[in-house]
Parts: sequence; C-alpha cells; structure tokens
Amino acid sequence: MDLLSFVNFYLVPGIVAGAIYALGAIGVTLVFGVLRFAHLAHGDLATFGAFLVLALVGAGMTPWLALPLAMAAAALTAIALHHLFYAHLSRRSAILTVISSLGVALMLRAVVQMIWGVDTESYVSGIDRPQSYLGIRLKDRELWTLLATAGLVVGLLVFLGRTRWGKALRAMSDNPDLAALSGIDKRLTTALTWGLAGLLTAAAGFFLGLNTEVKPLMGWHMLLPVFAAAILGGVGRVEGALLGGLLIGIVEECSVLLLPAQYKSAVAFAVLLVMLSARPSGLLRGKVL
Amino acid sequence: MSAAPLLRTAGVTGGYGPVDILHGIDLQVGAREIVAIIGPNGAGKSTLLKTVFGLARLSGGKVFLGAEDISGWAPARIARRGLGYVPQVANVFAEMTVQENLEIGAFLRRDGLATAMERVFGLFPDLTAKRHKPAGSLSGGQRQMVAFGRALMLDPQVLLLDEPTAGLSPKYQTQIFQIVRDIRAAGVAVLLVEQHAKQALALCDRAYVLAAGCKRAEGRGRDLLADADIGRLFLGS
Repeated sequence: MDLLSFVNFYLVPGIVAGAIYALGAIGVTLVFGVLRFAHLAHGDLATFGAFLVLALVGAGMTPWLALPLAMAAAALTAIALHHLFYAHLSRRSAILTVISSLGVALMLRAVVQMIWGVDTESYVSGIDRPQSYLGIRLKDRELWTLLATAGLVVGLLVFLGRTRWGKALRAMSDNPDLAALSGIDKRLTTALTWGLAGLLTAAAGFFLGLNTEVKPLMGWHMLLPVFAAAILGGVGRVEGALLGGLLIGIVEECSVLLLPAQYKSAVAFAVLLVMLSARPSGLLRGKVL
Repeated sequence: MSAAPLLRTAGVTGGYGPVDILHGIDLQVGAREIVAIIGPNGAGKSTLLKTVFGLARLSGGKVFLGAEDISGWAPARIARRGLGYVPQVANVFAEMTVQENLEIGAFLRRDGLATAMERVFGLFPDLTAKRHKPAGSLSGGQRQMVAFGRALMLDPQVLLLDEPTAGLSPKYQTQIFQIVRDIRAAGVAVLLVEQHAKQALALCDRAYVLAAGCKRAEGRGRDLLADADIGRLFLGS
C-alpha cells in the first residue's frame, strides 16, 4: 500500500471520526472539569441533537440552518437536564450523579425512539463523490465536518482564553473554592458549562449522522470512544480532548489493518484501559477521573 | 491605634457544623496596622479568619467593617465591600497565568482593572516577567505574591492572611514578611494568622494570643515577645 492510499483509506476517515469524537469529548471534559462527574448521557444527548436536525430538515430546512437551531435546543436541554436530574445531587457522592446520568441516557433514547421511531435515517440521499485535493480524496461532508470542528474548537478556545466568562469558567474548573471567593457565581458557570457541552454534543451527533447514519443508538455507541478520548487527552483540558479524539479516531481506523473490523470499538476500550493504568492524568496532565 | 478601627469583631462565637470552636472573640484592626493572631495548633486562629470572612458559621457576636455590620454576609459581598482573604492552601488558580489570576481577583470590579493590575505588579515587581506564566509553575514565594495580588485586586482596606508562610523555606518566609510590610506601606491593613509566632510578633504592630478558641492575651508585638508567660506557654521558650 502506498502512502497516498494509507492517507485516503485510513488517515482521512480516522481524522473525520476523530473530529466527531473530539466534539463529544470536549463536552465531557468541560462537564467533568466544572462539575466533577462523568456524564453518561452525553452520547444520547448527541443522538437527540442529530434527530432534532433530522426533524428540522424534514420540515424543509437546509441542514446548515437546522444545525445551529438544534445545537441551541440541545444546549437548553442540557441546562434543563441539569436542573431536573443532577443539581439536587451536587452535595452527594459523585457516583449518584453518574448513575442518574445513566438514567437520563435511557430516557433520552426512549424519547428519541418514541418521537422518531427506531429506523435508520439519513440527512441527504444520493452519493457524495470525493473530490481530490492534491491527491487527498475528501468527500464534501468530510470537509464540512473538519471545517466545522475546527471552527467550533477555535471559537471555544477564544471564548475560554479571552473573555471574562470564559476565564470564570476555567477558574471554576481550576479551583472552585477560590473562584467562589472571587465572586464567580457557581450557578451561572454551571449553566454555561452545560450550554457549551450541549452545543458541541449536538454538533457531534449531527456530524456523526452526516458521515454515517442517523439511528437511535448512534450516540450510545459513541460514548466509549468519546470517554477514551477525554481521558487520553487529560480530563478537564479542551486541547487534550481534541488531541485525544483525533488519536482515538485514527487508531480505530488503522486498527483495521491488523484486526478484524468488528473489533474497531474494542480498540478505544483498550486505549482507555492502558491510559487509566499507565497515566491516568492523560497526555496533557488533566484531572484524574 | 487610630480611634475608629477598620475591622472589629465583638464577641464572635462560631465554628463548623454544630460545634463552636470560637468563644466570644473581640479584636480590632486599625488603619495601616499589621495585626497577628498566634496560638497553638487547634486554637481556632484560621477559623477566626474564616468566620470573619463568612466562610465558617458565625453563631454569636458581630463583625464590623468600618461602621457597617457585615455579620453573616456571603464572602463575595464582603470582598466587594473591602475585605480581602487569602486562604492558606490552594490559593492560586494553578493552571491560569499570573495575569489571569489577577483578572479573576477583579471579577467583581466594574472598572479600573488596568490600574489595579499595575498597582499589584508595582508592589510585586518579580511577577512582571512571569505575567504570562501559569501560577502553578512559580516558586513558593512568587505563588504567594500571586495569591496576595489576587486578593488585592478589589482594593481591600484590610487583608486577611491565613498562615502565609506555611510550608515555605526560611528564605521565602523572610520574603513573605517583607511583602506584608510592603502591603501595609501601600495603605492596606493586614490581619494575619501565623504558626511562626516569634517572627510574627516581631513583624506586627499588635497581636492576639488564642488558645482553645478563647482570647488569652493581646498587646503590642514586642511586649508579647518579651512576656515570659507567653513565651513559656506559646513560643516554646
């Protein structure tokens, strides 16, 4: 196999899958950073976002108009879920919130199945032929996925690095007691965190659906690689989640060279196990889950 | 001491949960004063600072900042009104830069951020070169400067310091005590809790000796230092 074939058949699909994982992993990492628990409903929130886009597209909207609307709706949903199911547990042991989020995952999936059914759907019909860019073959939807991910990540990093509320959110993640002493309102930063996580997760769901299929279990199946990505990169670190997502995506795709394709999702699990035992703080030294 | 104290507690009783650790503490801090609280481990020194700043439960007595009764206020409201507090541990945002630490310190400020920041960098010139470095990467002494700087960003009248030299080498201890003098010279009164009682008494204008949650003695630092009973009981000499 020559280099270009490797790039086209393994690296490009790996980077595209990795970009989608990264969007999910950034949400997981933000929630863990500020609220200190592993949010198991994250994948199903992505599914919910993907089906919201599907509903809006079905109503005649273009996907590119439907996506921001679905992202905003998912952000509000995430904030509402926090108030309904997680907020009252915040003073109790974190495992209770984790289990509560598992229940929320099942509820979200049931809602998706009740409203949209259990069939596999897609946003657009027809064949998306790849274009060649200096020999590198990219389908339009892959290009859009990469551009949108880059845009969202850059936007998030600018928000966190340059704005007053972005810095407040980082302060809350870094040292919650000192942040509260400095007058940062925990309720507002919490809502902001859920809002951002909801936005990014809905985008992850949409791009997963765009590049594969829209189905009720899509987000649940993405949960493992997303957590593996967040832990690999270092929990609480946005750049880490991006790096972790891309690495997991690439490693999964390349594993097909050595292992039967049905073991692809086991690779993320293997990375997760190795990372937790060898370097639980992740590549970029995050918090220990 | 000036006639009207900046900070005053009257019969403060309080602690954590249902248990009172402090029993009727009266103290005062006047303008441009350095006041130390010393005493054995478990005397309630840190609890007293936390109770004044609204972080521990105040079950009796009053706290006044100037003429205003701030008893039972939330910490952020107290900070906005002119009292700064530097915790003993985890007192910086380790992953954020020095400048960002100061910006967060000024989170409640509507204006004057640049002026306040330049004032802090003027007080701690060592930090200027480290402005864009994460606070967690600094030396122990410099990290304390960041912690003080964060609390100074709201222009407090009185700064509460909880064991600022704990865990620092003797070299940094001397540096921190000099910084406390510099802060006073900049017009901010300081109320500090110290384990290193002798150094604290040499540094301060006045001091209170606490034991088992009660005030046992008070006076000028050098008088307490010369007091044989205090020395025998609390200073290990």
